[in-house]
Amino acid sequence: MAELTLTVNGNPVRSDCAPGTLLSGFLRETLHLTGTHVGCDTSQCGACTVIVDGRSIKSCTMLAHEADGASVTTIEGIANADGTLHPVQQAFRTHHALQCGFCTPGMVMASVALLARQPEPTDADVRHGLEGNMCRCTGYQNIVDAVLASAKSMKGVQA
Amino acid sequence: MNAPASFGKSQVRVEDQRFLKGQGRYIDDVNLPGQGYGAFVRSPHAHARVLSIDTSAAATMPGVLLIVTGAEWATQKFGPLPCRSPSKVNRDGTPFKDPARQCLVHDVARYVGEPVALVVAATAAAARSAADAVLVDYETLASVTDRGRAMAAGSAQLWPEAPQNLCLDFEQGKRADVESAMASAKHVIRLDLENNRLTAVPMEPRGAIADFDRATGQYTLWNSSQNIHANRDLMAAMLRIPKDKLHHLAPDIGGGFGGKNSVYAEPIVLLYAAGKLAHPVKWVADRTEAFLTDTHGRDQHSNVALALDDTGKFLALHVHSIGNVGAACGTMGPFTPTGGSARTQGGPYAIPAILYSAQAVFTNTVQTDPYRGAGRPEAVFHIERVIEFAARKLGIDPVELRRRNLIQPEQMPYTSGIGLAIDCGNFPAVMDRVIAMSDRPGYAARVTASAAKGLRRGFAVTPYLECSGGAPQEEAQLKFTSDGIVLLAVGTHSTGMGHETALAQIVGDRLGIDLHRIHFRQGDTAATKIGGGHGGSRGIELGGCAALKAADMVIDKARTIAAHALNSRADDIAFGKGKLTDSKTGQSMTIDGVIAAAGDQSRLPAGMSVGALDSTAVFDREMFTVPNGAHACEVEVDPETGVIRVVDFWAVDDFGSVINPMLADGQVMGGIVQGLGQALLEEVVYDSDSGQALTTSLLEYALPRADHVPRMKIEFYEGAPTKRNPLGAKGAGEAGCCGASPVIVNAVLDALNDYGVTHIDMPLTSEKVWRAISAGGKA
Repeated sequence: MAELTLTVNGNPVRSDCAPGTLLSGFLRETLHLTGTHVGCDTSQCGACTVIVDGRSIKSCTMLAHEADGASVTTIEGIANADGTLHPVQQAFRTHHALQCGFCTPGMVMASVALLARQPEPTDADVRHGLEGNMCRCTGYQNIVDAVLASAKSMKGVQA
Repeated sequence: MNAPASFGKSQVRVEDQRFLKGQGRYIDDVNLPGQGYGAFVRSPHAHARVLSIDTSAAATMPGVLLIVTGAEWATQKFGPLPCRSPSKVNRDGTPFKDPARQCLVHDVARYVGEPVALVVAATAAAARSAADAVLVDYETLASVTDRGRAMAAGSAQLWPEAPQNLCLDFEQGKRADVESAMASAKHVIRLDLENNRLTAVPMEPRGAIADFDRATGQYTLWNSSQNIHANRDLMAAMLRIPKDKLHHLAPDIGGGFGGKNSVYAEPIVLLYAAGKLAHPVKWVADRTEAFLTDTHGRDQHSNVALALDDTGKFLALHVHSIGNVGAACGTMGPFTPTGGSARTQGGPYAIPAILYSAQAVFTNTVQTDPYRGAGRPEAVFHIERVIEFAARKLGIDPVELRRRNLIQPEQMPYTSGIGLAIDCGNFPAVMDRVIAMSDRPGYAARVTASAAKGLRRGFAVTPYLECSGGAPQEEAQLKFTSDGIVLLAVGTHSTGMGHETALAQIVGDRLGIDLHRIHFRQGDTAATKIGGGHGGSRGIELGGCAALKAADMVIDKARTIAAHALNSRADDIAFGKGKLTDSKTGQSMTIDGVIAAAGDQSRLPAGMSVGALDSTAVFDREMFTVPNGAHACEVEVDPETGVIRVVDFWAVDDFGSVINPMLADGQVMGGIVQGLGQALLEEVVYDSDSGQALTTSLLEYALPRADHVPRMKIEFYEGAPTKRNPLGAKGAGEAGCCGASPVIVNAVLDALNDYGVTHIDMPLTSEKVWRAISAGGKA
C-alpha cells in the first residue's frame, strides 16, 4: 500500500492504494465511481475512458499511482452543478446515441476530450477520433451526430 | 391534465438520464455484503480426458474459501444443462441427440474454456491466483472444430451416443416437388455459401452474484441474463430446488443480442457455492472468458440450388446446410441451423416448392445458440446471394430478376413455399422505395468518380423477410401508488432497446398519463409471474401488447369508479384523452381523479376495494409477424489492396406500426452494423489442428468501429400494419442484420464483376478480396 493524492471530479482525494491497482479499479472499487465501465482486458473497448489532466485515457491502461497529483474527470463529474446534463450528455440523449449504456460513459468522455482538442470536427474527424471506443448497439451514427451537434451547441455557448 | 399523445413519435428515452450520468447499475456494479469472488478453472484443451485434479496447493492459498471440482459436482447428481430446441426430430422420425452436459467437467472436456472447477476466495485476485494453482492432469484427445470435417470417417468423436457427431438430421419442405422441379427446370443455379462463425460481443461481459439465506432456504441470483423467468425454471429444476426458492433478477444489461439468452453453467455453480458457504459469491467474466464461453452464432455451410424457367421465374429452392452446434446442445441446441434457418427460406419471393435440409453436428467448440436473427439472416443470405449469382450467370439485371419473382400485395395473405404464413406486406413497393432513395440516376457519375480514384464502385439492393419469434405469452402489470406513480412491470427484457420508454409510451398514451410518471420494472421473477424475456424481436409485439391490455383493463375499471362518483352507469362513461365523461350528462372526471378515488375505500362502489385499478394482463400471441424490408448500398473497392469501404447505405423497413421511430431507427442501425461486421470483419476462429481458440480478445476479433460505418438512411414503410396484434407492430430487432450482410456482399461482387470474381465467402477481408481479384485474372 502506498498513499495516493489526486483530484477526482474536482474533489481532493487521498487514499491508500496497492501499487498494482489500475486507475479503473481504483475509481470503481475504492471511490465507488461505477460509471467507469470495464469491457475488456486489452485496452480495446474504451468503456473505461476518463479524462486525466485534459487528455482522454483508457483508465485500464494506467496505474492509479500514475495519476498521483493529477486531475481526473469521470462521467460522474461532467454534469452541471444543478444536475443538468453537460452539452455532450444532452446531445447523446437528444440524438439517441446510446442503447444499453455500457459503452456510453467512455464514449461521452472520449467525445468531451475530442471536442476540447478539435472544437469543430468533421464527420470523418469524429469517426476517426472515436476509433478507440467500441459500441455494439448503436451502429455509431447517432453518436457521431451527437458529437457534431454538441460541437455546435458548445461553440454557441462560448461565443 | 392530459399528456400529449406520444405513440408514433420520437420520444427521448427515460433510461438515458441515469445511463448518461454513470448511474446505470450493471452486474459488476452490484455488490452484496460479505461476498466472495469466484474464478473458474477452465480446460485449456479442445478435447481432453480429466485424469485427476489436485486442489491441495490452491486450497491453502490466502483467502480461499471453497473449491468445487467436477468430481464433487458429479456426486451431487444435478441435472445436465438443458436443451429446449423446438427442432428435435430427425427426418427418419427418430429423436435428436442431446448428450448430457454438466456444469463442471468430470470426465471429458470438449472445448477450450469449458469449466472444470470453481474457486471462491475473499478477493477476485486471490480467487484468480488460486484457480491458476489448481493442477489438472489431462490426457489430450484428438479434436475436430470444423463442421465440414465433423461427420468424416476418422474424425474425433465427441459423444459415443452420437455417431459421426450428428446431433440432428433435419428436413422441412416439399422434397418430391423440389426434386421434380429441379429435374425439369431450364436453369438450376448452384452456389455454396459460408455463414461465418460469430459471437455477440455485448460490451458488458456476463456475470452473476448468487446468494443463499440458510434461515429461509431462499436463493437469490443476480444475473446478466435476458431470459430471467424461463432460465429460473430450468436452473431450479437442475438444482432440484422449488422454483419459488430461487429469486432470479437482472440489473441493467449492457447489451445481449442473444448472447445472454442461454442457461449458462457459471451462475448455477455460483448458486451451489453460495448454498454451501451461505454467503454471496460473485463472478464477472473477463473478455477472454467471454470469447471462450459466450455462445457463438451462425457457423453454417450451405449448398443452395435455385431452379428457374426460361423467363427467370423461380420454380424451386433447395438449401442444404451443415450447422455447427458446438460441443453439446446449448439451450436452443440445434434449432438455429435447422428449424431456425428453415422458417423464412425463400424470403419475399413466390417460389412454389422449397426444401430445407440440414445436419447439425457436434464439434470441439463452445455451443452455438441464437445470435441476433438466429437462422433468419442465414436464410436471407441463402436466397439473396443465389439470386444475385443467378442474375449474373443468366445475364438478367438483378433488380429485374427480383421484381419478376416478388410476392405481390394482391397475393396476400400468402403461404410461402416453406410454409410461412405471411399476412401482409407490399414487397415491390418497399423495394422500389429503397431504389428511389438510392439515387440511381447519379450512379454512373459516382462510378466515374470512384474510378478516377482508382476504385471500383458497386451497388446492390436486396429485399429481406424475416419473422418474429420467442416465447408466445407475456405478462404486464400496472399498479397505482398513492403519490400518482404508475408502476409498470413486464416479463419482456430490454437489454438496451429502450422498453422503459416505449412501453411507457404505450401505457401513457392509452391512459392519458405522462410517461414520466410510469416507473418500469423488468427482469425479476418477483415482479411478474410470467416472463418470456428477450428474443425473437418480441419486446414490443408481446410486452407492448400485454401492457396495452393491462391499460385497457384499467380503463374498464376506471369507468365503473367514475360512474359511481358521477352517479351514472359504467356503460354511459366514455373514456378519451385521460378523461371519463358521462355521455348523458356531460359530467366528467379525470383519470387522476379516478386513481385518487381508487385509493379511498369510501369513494369506491360496492365490490371494489382499495387498489382496484391495479391490473395484470396476460397476452398470448396467435401468430408470428413477418417484418420485411429492402436494403441497398454502394461500396468502393480498391483493387490494389482489396480494401472495401461501404460508402452509402439505404434501408426501408416494414415493421407495421412504429411506436417510437427514433428507437426503431436505432434498432435498424445497430443491426445493419452487426450485419456489416459479419460481411466484412468478424469471424471466430479455432485452429483446426489443435482446436485452440484463436480469437480470444478484441485484438483478434474485429468488431466494427465508427470509421468502418457508412451514413445510413432509414425509412419505414407503414402501409401494411399487421392485424395479428392490437398494436399492428412487427418485430424490429433483428431486421438490420438480415438485410445488411447480403446487400454488402452483393455490392462488393458487383464492384468486382469486371474481374471475373463471382463469389467470396464472408468475412470479405481485404486479403480475401485481393486474392480473389488476383485469381480472377481479368481486367
